[in-house]
Amino acid sequence: MTLSELQSWLIDEGLREEIDTLTRNTVRAEVDNLSPEPNGENDGMAPDWPRLLFAGSILARSDQRVHQEAALRIATAALTLPTSSTIRDAAAVLLGKLSNFRAIALATDRELLTGDLEGRLGMTLRIEAQRRQMDQSVLVESSGRWLPVNDFQQRFWDRAGDHSWLSASAPTASGKTFLVLQWLLDQMRSTDARVAVYLAPTRALVSEIEANLQSLLGKGSSVEVSSLPLRDKYDAAHGGGAKLILVFTQERLHLLANVLGDAVAIDLLIVDEAHKIGDNQRGVILQDAIERASRANPDLKLVFISPATQNPEELLADAPFGVEAAAIESDAPTVLQNLIVAEQVPRKPKRWSLSVRRLNGALPIGVLELASSPAGLRKRLAFIAAAAGERGGTLVYANGAAESEEVADLISQLQPSLAEPDAELAELADLARKGVHPQFRLAPLVERGVAFHYGNMPSLIRLEVERLFRAGKIRFLVCTSTLVEGVNLSCRTIVVRGPRKGIGHPMEAHDFWNLAGRAGRWGDEFQGNIICIDPEDPAAWPGGVPDRARYPIKRESDAVIELGGELSNYLDRRADTDLAGIEDAERFEQVGAYLFATYLRIGSIAEANFAKRHDPAIVARLEESLATIAKGLDIGPDIAARHPGVSALGLQHLLDAFRDYPGDIENLLPAAVDSQDSYDRFVTIMRRINQHLFPAFLPDGLIPLHALIVVQWLKGYSLATMIRRNIDYHRTRGRSFNLPVLIRNTMELVEQIARFRAPKYFSAYMDVLHTHLRAIGRADLIDDELDIGTQLEFGVSSRTLLSLMELGLSRMSAVALYERIARDDLDQEACIAWVAERSAQFEGMGIPAIIVREIRAKLLPASDQTPAPAP
Amino acid sequence: MPAKPFTIGVHRFAKKGDAAAFLQAILHRYDVGDRVSAADEEVLRAALALHPEADEKIGCGVTHFSVRTADFGTKCFWINRPDGTTEKFSYIACIRG
Repeated sequence: MTLSELQSWLIDEGLREEIDTLTRNTVRAEVDNLSPEPNGENDGMAPDWPRLLFAGSILARSDQRVHQEAALRIATAALTLPTSSTIRDAAAVLLGKLSNFRAIALATDRELLTGDLEGRLGMTLRIEAQRRQMDQSVLVESSGRWLPVNDFQQRFWDRAGDHSWLSASAPTASGKTFLVLQWLLDQMRSTDARVAVYLAPTRALVSEIEANLQSLLGKGSSVEVSSLPLRDKYDAAHGGGAKLILVFTQERLHLLANVLGDAVAIDLLIVDEAHKIGDNQRGVILQDAIERASRANPDLKLVFISPATQNPEELLADAPFGVEAAAIESDAPTVLQNLIVAEQVPRKPKRWSLSVRRLNGALPIGVLELASSPAGLRKRLAFIAAAAGERGGTLVYANGAAESEEVADLISQLQPSLAEPDAELAELADLARKGVHPQFRLAPLVERGVAFHYGNMPSLIRLEVERLFRAGKIRFLVCTSTLVEGVNLSCRTIVVRGPRKGIGHPMEAHDFWNLAGRAGRWGDEFQGNIICIDPEDPAAWPGGVPDRARYPIKRESDAVIELGGELSNYLDRRADTDLAGIEDAERFEQVGAYLFATYLRIGSIAEANFAKRHDPAIVARLEESLATIAKGLDIGPDIAARHPGVSALGLQHLLDAFRDYPGDIENLLPAAVDSQDSYDRFVTIMRRINQHLFPAFLPDGLIPLHALIVVQWLKGYSLATMIRRNIDYHRTRGRSFNLPVLIRNTMELVEQIARFRAPKYFSAYMDVLHTHLRAIGRADLIDDELDIGTQLEFGVSSRTLLSLMELGLSRMSAVALYERIARDDLDQEACIAWVAERSAQFEGMGIPAIIVREIRAKLLPASDQTPAPAP
Repeated sequence: MPAKPFTIGVHRFAKKGDAAAFLQAILHRYDVGDRVSAADEEVLRAALALHPEADEKIGCGVTHFSVRTADFGTKCFWINRPDGTTEKFSYIACIRG
């Protein structure tokens, strides 16, 4: 019998019943409110620990996930179930063999292990353990410190040393982000790299990574961190000043490259959640950003990070000739993840039977008792979460923002009211009331330790919700697909029923597992639990509860190009049909724009990197369409490259419209936001964009509302003010409204219109207009103020407000402070001086405590601020 | 009763309806947010003088005219004054007198 045959036999036959018993007992310990077992908790059978641990050490040597999971299960059970200290010591040795040092540290913290484990091991084991610890650590060059790592982390560190392009893929809780941040800082401190960019797909993740880096670096560090696409710090870094790490979305990297005129010199680029290169619409913008950085610096060091993916090497396909590239993947479990299904006991709506899914079918673990009868699906989700995850760390997945609020409200009603609410929870509630609206539903919920979380919430609030959930003060968090879109948040238990992504699409297996993978906080818990409700209900789970799956990485551009004729036909129609009459525009426009930009840059797409991946017939057909259309274009490659996702053909049509404009040319310019006609100008510009560039602001009837939001946002209004004005607008016109819906809609308009669509298309509009003005000798009308795209991204139009955000304040804090600052032209130093003078008075100004904390942390000297410990 | 001729500055119309159509055509040449051209401004200055509340509308003076949003999704002419204030006016009112 070979070793691998022995391992398989152990799982399939030798240990099957014993592992079932361990599974049942360890999972029962994780779930609250289970009916007591008739025969007591321990199932009558005492495990044969020496035999199990020996088998575990054999399984630990396998590279198969199932075997490693079994070994981890044995070690976890031996540590957490009632055993003896000798057995627990042996369990720690087994964890060591799995390179799971964080779990050993956790066991020590929880006093499951007493100190000086090594001293108790025999000589041979001790030498082996020490050797393993030396093998499984990497040298942080800048500090000379050794960092203990697991196998995946070690391979990453080694490969990153001698490869220029790297693609790393590993499941959610494998310590990717932590390690990559450590590596990034080490690179910045110990190499010649001046500027690094960390790309994250969402603003939520950008703020999180920025905060992480800042706390790792501490104040007064020689490396600066910023998320603003402005050139000052970049120029300083290249001019010998502080080195710089920029944390950006792909759109912001383009904004910076536009400011720098494409000579963007980045030494190191990290692309987090790199599988998002397959996203509809923004995937190709990401691809374009990476290619732009790589073109500008062929020696760029590039690291892709993705969750469990099938083909991480795909991201390396476009590495320049001669560049050393490597893919690293891991499928090893770091923490046990129990997939539990919940089905109602027949005729007993308050009793739900739970079973664990394993390779060979379901293993019943007990019956969950609910406090109330769950009438309706939302109550079902809420009550099961409240019962099973009563001890906290419980994440509930809701389909959409509205549902997340409803479910959180239901859960909160089952929680005891705290006589003395926690101070931090009270501060968050205060921020929600002052920063959004006095009746914002989040406020009373967080006072009971329950919260909801969705993408359009202001980042300061969302980050605080995440922080307090991690800290255990928020015990239940109801979230939406924003979490799958890129927020690093893990939990102890996740409860889900019929998950959808976007509007109505059942979640695919890899998205489900990206979500489910968040169950289990490595280093904080030994196990994580995924509770799936109504697994047999086809309405909830059309394909059943999905089996574990990995993301297939496929660039959006490749997927659309493969459609072949459809894309060429779209391009042909795009050239001569009115925009309103073209179907599928949303599907093809972005990739079409990418092809145009490529064609204009190199004169042929057949020469482009991507061409080698596609059928030559398709490429030739596309080339033909592009060549025909390009003949009529005056739009050059530079301007097309500056606006990813915006078609050169659209830019040309807009230029034609400017040339044909019969009126006073000044009417084409936007007006300063404080000017009376600013709103009307934006209305007309949006209509012009819809007509000539791309139908971006639809339906037409909503343009006045969209323009109003854009103006208020640019004026630097706080979200609370915008909501209040929206309420007044409804009241004065006698229109009825539902307050929670109105609050959510206002937040959505800010994020989707003012911060996404408007900057993308207004920037392009201004660029084409400037081209036209220069051509007709009216360059005098061009002012070189901050680009409109950047103004919109941040919602600022005054120097003071921008300075405050440059200093690292969230917009919410910057606006709260700006409401009290008279001057609109303060630079960063003047802002710091203003704050320093009034530091003692903030508490009396009625500013929410969380905002005051942020202001002090970012704007005042590091008197007593020390870097936070590494996570 | 035969229609009475009507005059706005140098422009003479056979009837008030024609004058209204003339002003309306000017209004519709513009998008909201546009500044009115010098040529059209002359017409509007003359029309505004006929407005029953001309003095209040003009206030401290008129630097230029704009076309901007009015109520209920329509557009109308606006007066821009030297002190930065603005005021809308109805071309119909100028003709009705």
